[in-house]
Amino acid sequence: MDIGLTHYLSVAAILFSLGIFGIFVNRKNVIIILMSIELMLLAVNINLVAFSTALGDMVGQVFAMFVLTVAAAEAAIGLAILVVYYRNRGSIEVEDIHLMQG
Amino acid sequence: MTLFPAVVEAHLAVLLIVVPLIAAPLCSLLRRESLAWIFAAAVSVVCLALAVAILGQVMANGPIAYEMGGWASPWGIEFRIDRLNAFVLVIVSAIAAVVMWYAHGSVRAEIGGDQQPHYYTLYLLCLTGLLGVTATGDAFNLFVFLEISSLSSYVLISLGAGRDRRALTAAFTYLVMGTIGATFYVIGIGLLYMVTGTLNMADLAVRLAPLADNTTVLAGFAFIMVGLSLKLALFPLHLWLPNAYTYAPSAVTAFLAATATKVAVYVLLRFLFTVFGTDYLFEELTLNGFLLPLAVIAMFIPSLVAIFQTNIKRMLAYSSVAQLGYMVLGLSFASITGVTATVIHLFNHAVTKGGLFMALGAVLLRTGGVSLQNMAGLGRQMPLTMAAFVVGGFSLIGVPTTVGFISKWYLILAALEDGRWPIAFLILASSLLAVIYIWRVVEVAYFQPALEGRKIEEAPLSYLIPTWLLIGASLYFGVDATYTLEVAGSAAAHLMGNGG
Repeated sequence: MDIGLTHYLSVAAILFSLGIFGIFVNRKNVIIILMSIELMLLAVNINLVAFSTALGDMVGQVFAMFVLTVAAAEAAIGLAILVVYYRNRGSIEVEDIHLMQG
Repeated sequence: MTLFPAVVEAHLAVLLIVVPLIAAPLCSLLRRESLAWIFAAAVSVVCLALAVAILGQVMANGPIAYEMGGWASPWGIEFRIDRLNAFVLVIVSAIAAVVMWYAHGSVRAEIGGDQQPHYYTLYLLCLTGLLGVTATGDAFNLFVFLEISSLSSYVLISLGAGRDRRALTAAFTYLVMGTIGATFYVIGIGLLYMVTGTLNMADLAVRLAPLADNTTVLAGFAFIMVGLSLKLALFPLHLWLPNAYTYAPSAVTAFLAATATKVAVYVLLRFLFTVFGTDYLFEELTLNGFLLPLAVIAMFIPSLVAIFQTNIKRMLAYSSVAQLGYMVLGLSFASITGVTATVIHLFNHAVTKGGLFMALGAVLLRTGGVSLQNMAGLGRQMPLTMAAFVVGGFSLIGVPTTVGFISKWYLILAALEDGRWPIAFLILASSLLAVIYIWRVVEVAYFQPALEGRKIEEAPLSYLIPTWLLIGASLYFGVDATYTLEVAGSAAAHLMGNGG
């Protein structure tokens, strides 16, 4: 079987949907929310790299590096916020956090 | 008239970004709060001067196209500045300079000692990101700058944790929502890149024109639209905004409320009218059938919610969501008058909301809170601060002689021009909601007696002067709107000319 652009895009689409699903279904564990976001950004990376090989243009791979950097910075800030939260409250069980509900 | 020597004049566009970007890490090396403040304030004034010089150049000689590192434009990154960006650049850097003045007192009052120098570092980074988003002509570069500004604003919001721990959850929610928005945006960009092989906005516009019925382009547009709507807090996607604005330190709220969402509106304008073009979006996809109802709902529901808030900062945050509804309403008409209304409201709302949040910061300093009870009798105890609040409130309502009136006037003109008189009526009706929520504050502040035994002085001058600068601007440009209207009108005409 030939593995072509469609296959890569399907993998990316599945990863992306998993990420979205993870955010909306899980309301208890905030670390899992951060992981789901990472998953979404990685799906984007797979997309970009697949496009770049399909087009024969390196630019897409350069973008993937940028997206990785952004994802790392975002995870660092998210975890830092949680560390401060943990120091304040002694747990990250967040019933009063009302994530995604404003 | 040139502000700078010729060498600087030639590189204005890139200097505006590079100066705050390099200044930010330098600022973190300064250990003392006052040193960091002086440095950051000087940088923000330089940025304002650069932005004003750019606006002057663009108004006189037409758009600036600056090729980064001399790489020709579809391959290298290009900064393209026309009247619209130049105007937004001046708004952002002017607000940044005024809020920086205000930050000195406010940061010392609200943020812990060892974090104060870092506040200025993040502030400069956030400014870099916002200016970069506005100046760049490259869609992927825009994503990078958007993330620079968003990441630094998450941290800025979480700095409010010293006073109220809920700032952390607000910042975390914003981080989740903001990153989802950025992800959607970058997926959309990826799809457009797949179809066209380019990311330069001008180039994209040319190559997208013959691809009108391509489903990949449609999917790309949908992703970009949702991503940007999250960033600009368009009504159903606004959930991060009220908490983020409520728990952030006052100086951060004033800065973000006046700039961050405005820049996102600018990006939306750029994508709708320059990249995709009116023919495709409004004729073929009939996007206004989607944007118009959303904008109208955004005008009403957040205003209704605002009426029931007891925390005034949260009330103003909901009012911001409603005001963003007006901006989206203006652009959904896809006419020159409508876009003019959006652009002029960008400016008008930035000065008004910035001033209002600064006045609330003064209330927080003197009374220790911003709930409705804290405002009792303040009309006599802090006359200048409360006067600023009332003038700003009038501008939100749209009383003549304030800038809010100019925006509403143009919105109504655009609605009537489009033959949609029910919309014009709805604009007036939603202004009545603003009357209600502003009046609640006025009533408590002026007609209730002060709390027993509470001695409150007027806010210090470091609070009053920046507040009145912005509120004064909202009065001045409300009486004499010739200049702002000329810039906004010509920017809108240019934008629509490109898109059509």
